This record gives sequence, structure tokens and C-alpha cells, in this order.
Amino acid sequence: MKDVTKSFFENGKEFKVLEPLRFGLAERDFVCVVGPSGCGKSTLLRIIVGLEPPTSGQVLFEGQPIRADNPQVAMVFQSFALFPWLTVQQNVELGLEAKGTHPEERQRIARKFIEAVGLTGFEDAYPRELSGGMKQRVGIARALGIEPLLLCMDEPFSSLDPLTAQNLRDEILQLWSNPDLPPRAVLMVTHAIEEAVYMADRVIVLSSRPGRMVAELSIDLPRPRNRKEPEFYGWVDEIYSLIV
Amino acid sequence: MSNSHENVGRAVAVADFRSMAKVSVGQVLGLVEAIDEVGGVADVATISQEVDMDLDRLGPVLAAAEFLGLLTVEDGDVRMTDLSRKLLSASVRERKAILRRVIDDIPVFRMVLDAARQARRPLERQEVLDSIAARAGSHQAEDLFKALVYWGRYVELVQYDSRAEQLRLRSPSK
Repeated sequence: MKDVTKSFFENGKEFKVLEPLRFGLAERDFVCVVGPSGCGKSTLLRIIVGLEPPTSGQVLFEGQPIRADNPQVAMVFQSFALFPWLTVQQNVELGLEAKGTHPEERQRIARKFIEAVGLTGFEDAYPRELSGGMKQRVGIARALGIEPLLLCMDEPFSSLDPLTAQNLRDEILQLWSNPDLPPRAVLMVTHAIEEAVYMADRVIVLSSRPGRMVAELSIDLPRPRNRKEPEFYGWVDEIYSLIV
Repeated sequence: MSNSHENVGRAVAVADFRSMAKVSVGQVLGLVEAIDEVGGVADVATISQEVDMDLDRLGPVLAAAEFLGLLTVEDGDVRMTDLSRKLLSASVRERKAILRRVIDDIPVFRMVLDAARQARRPLERQEVLDSIAARAGSHQAEDLFKALVYWGRYVELVQYDSRAEQLRLRSPSK
């Protein structure tokens, strides 16, 4: 991210959403962006994956300007974004179909990631037959299926009940700890500070709108992390004090 | 005497399995993780506060976790079991295998699996509902069927085609 800004214009008036932002992601980085509601976190993610152009500045992916159809970047959405008329298997295969993968290979890869997220047994199920957590697992399997270098997640747990969310966080971390599985880096947006401290190696803290970076913190707590430890709460408190 | 005792036991088991239609595996595992995080034992009120869920929503999850042998609830205290400790340190595939052994032993589940095995063909939804109703009463049949399909799929013993409304056995992945 090189000095990326974003503004929206209405009746000739400028509404600044993001002030110049500059940061990078490296191999094996798990980075969370936190900030209050409306600070431009989701807009930032949309710019990073190329779905939204920045007003100024540049997003470079491996040295080249990012494009929305970059198959090395995948996205997991808050609302799951599944096709209700497709089965779990078909939803996961969709990303591979867009990539032009051969049907047999598509099937094999989809099964591998369906298994990785614990959904074997539900291949033929439709989204309406799944719980919220399972729907999000489909979204994750679909994103991982294209074997991206970078996985972006936009508030992936905020539509789930607290128990399901906690379980899914742990399972994502379990997947992340397996270096044989993609991605090589994760960028997650969340409004939940505890969640960021629980999951990330690095937390980028944005101010309220227009979002500007107020801190970039390296969370050096060993994994698995326990939210009851005083050190954990030390980080949570520090981030709260930066935002409020 | 022993027969009536057995029947009561079976009725309780059937009723408990029905409650599993209301919860997901993610919720059950999330609850076990939350209790592990507070040291493996806590009173229900503390857990409710910890996980930010009121007792109306937490109750069915607690009941399902207890039914599966993952937690014990006694005098208001919720305690992890050896099985849940094993489950937490297991991989995704091992978790399924652990829960498969538990679920395979549930009488209503066993009854449907045996029927499918003997029939050597897919079972129609309606015939499964009828056999559950004959055993547990028609008011419970829909919930039990839902639990059977959901948990049966999770532990990879059941395959269900919701369009054709047919249920068949499947072999767990190795």
C-alpha cells in the first residue's frame, strides 16, 4: 500500500474515507486491521483486492498494480456470498471454474479444501441446509481452493453466534499453522479488538473516519493464545486506548 | 421392571438427541473451547457471561454437549471430560472419528442406519420419518430427522439428497 487514499464525492463535495495509508504484507504475515465502525476498514480491503480503485496512491501485489481478477488473492465475506442454488461442492468449485481449472482437477481440489474446513459429508448439501458457521466454512474453502498467496477476510465472524465464531477462529488458526496449505499471508478486517489480538501477528489500528493509521503493533504472544492471560488483556487495553 | 427402566432410559436418550437438531457442531466445540479457556470448569452463569449468550440460547448447546459426553453439568457447574480434552487436541478428521463413535451408539441413529443397511437401497425421507415416529412419537420425528441428517453428515455416516429426499449410508473418508 503506497500512500493510498479514498474519498467519495457527492454534489461536488468530497467525503474523505481514508487518509494516506502505507503498509506492507510479507510471507507468513497474519495482519488484522481494526478500527471503529465507519472508519473505512472494509473500503480499504476492497481497494486492496482491486474491487475499488483508490483516489490516490497505489496497491502493489508482487511489484505490480493489483487487479480485481488476480487469482492469487482471495476474499472471504462477512455475508458468506454463497450461491443458494449450488451445493457445497459446486460453490467451492466455482472459484476454480473461473480460473479455468479442468473439471476433474476442480473436483479433487474442492474436496481437499472441503475436508480441510471439516465439511466432508456436506458436499451435496445446499447452503439452506447449513448452519452459519458451516456457510462461512464453505466461503473459506472456496477462497482457499484457488490456492491464493493472499487471503483477505472482511469481518468473517461477525454474522456468527459467539460460540460458532470462537470455534471457527481456532480452526482457521489451525489451518494457518499448516505451512503446506495456502495462503502465504492473511489480511483480516475486524471491529473486534479481542479477535484481532487473538489471531494476528500484527495489528494495524485505524482512527475514526477519515481512517488513518494510528498504530501498527506486533503481537508477540505465543500461540495458542489465552484471552484470560494478563498479557493478552494488556494488548487489548492498549488498542482500546488508541481508538477511543 | 428392568424393561420399563430400559424404556425410560431410551426415551431420555431419544429426547436428548432431538435437542441436537437445534445446535451446530461449531457451537458445541465453541462451548468446549470456552470452558477449556477458563480452566476446564465453571458455573453456568460464568459461562453464559463469558460467551455472551443468555441461558435460553446456551441451554440447548449445553444439553447437546452433555449428551455427547463432552461436558458434565452438576450443581450448576459445567466441567470438561476426558473425551472433550481429547477432542480439543484432535485434528479435524480425528474429531469426526471421535464424535462418530459417540453418535453411532445413539439408539435412534443406530435404528435408521440398520434399516438402511438392511434395505440395501436409499431410504425415502418419509419412511425414515415413519420409523422414527413409530419409536419416538410423531411430534418428535421432524426434529430427530433433522438431527440425524445434520450430525450423520458431519460424522460421515449418512448422505442425504435433499432434492430427491433420499437418505443413504456413506463410508467415512480415510
